[in-house]
Amino acid sequence: MRNSTTGWLLIAPTLFILFITGFVPFIYVLVVSFFDWNTFAQNPEPTFTGADNFRELVFDKAFLKSIWLTLKFTAFVLISQLVIGLFLARMLLRNVPLKGLFRTIHTLPLMIAPIAVGATWRLLTVPGLGPIPHYLKSWFGIDYILSRFPDQAFATVVIMDIWHWTPLVTLTLMAGLSNLPEEPLEQARIDGASEWRIFWDITLAFLKPVLLTTIFIRLMDALRTVDEVWMLTGGGPGAETRFIGLHIWRVVFPKTDYGYGSAMSLITLYLTIVMCWLLYVAMTGMKENKA
Amino acid sequence: MANERNGFLPIKTNTFDRIFISVVLFIAISLFWMRFVEAYAPLWVAVLLSAVLGQWIIRKG
Repeated sequence: MRNSTTGWLLIAPTLFILFITGFVPFIYVLVVSFFDWNTFAQNPEPTFTGADNFRELVFDKAFLKSIWLTLKFTAFVLISQLVIGLFLARMLLRNVPLKGLFRTIHTLPLMIAPIAVGATWRLLTVPGLGPIPHYLKSWFGIDYILSRFPDQAFATVVIMDIWHWTPLVTLTLMAGLSNLPEEPLEQARIDGASEWRIFWDITLAFLKPVLLTTIFIRLMDALRTVDEVWMLTGGGPGAETRFIGLHIWRVVFPKTDYGYGSAMSLITLYLTIVMCWLLYVAMTGMKENKA
Repeated sequence: MANERNGFLPIKTNTFDRIFISVVLFIAISLFWMRFVEAYAPLWVAVLLSAVLGQWIIRKG
């Protein structure tokens, strides 16, 4: 068992760092979530309250609304990014003119920090200054004011996220598509299968691991979106784009309600893990498929 | 994966999977209980229920 011992010794530093940076903070947040701890309160010391934070959470309309908005946002961006990303990945693997240039330009948003993306889109959408409200008004007669219309604010946040993160999906799916085995595709073509049938039954089936990884990464990212939205809308108008990350930030930092914020973080983590697990189970197969 | 088995759950699971499913259900039942049932029955009933369910899933799931 010498190999095994050597292996464990080699990964021990990484495990130690992961333990310190991942597991210890998780346990800390878990413990804090059972305390009433607000440094601005009359009693700023942590007081054990059992499950009271969670009890309050399940009736907290603002929290439940932010969860619902986050899930809606995640569904919109995830589906859009997968569809657009897959289409672009297939297109970029073909011999289309200027594909190198397009690929470079398409990948540029990935290199921009989220806070800068939010700032850029804010400049694009500020009424009286940004080109988007100006042209929407002059060409289509649409009043585009993010701080007044919740639907416009939500749609803009979704479009911004799609613009920012679709290149990542395109690149990962391109890597997956370029590694597909040629033989099954050729056999299907010789057998007279239609392109749609080949795509649905062979390409997607072989692409499943890459798709799953991409969905996981984007799902987790979308659920914790904060900085872009904070910069663009500040969570407004009202609380119409206040996703769960922003909501937790408002409770933990300006209000310094650490116990309640920890409980909210844990519920968000729980939702993320459950959704990823359900997706994994749905995509890797039920019992009949595995047997 | 090693030690996977067919139980009453619709997926093949190993021990870790079954413990994970039990914990997920424990949290879901507790939250549901606090939101809708706690006015009529205390939370420890939910904990008891989850413990029994967890035991069943780990053994037979």
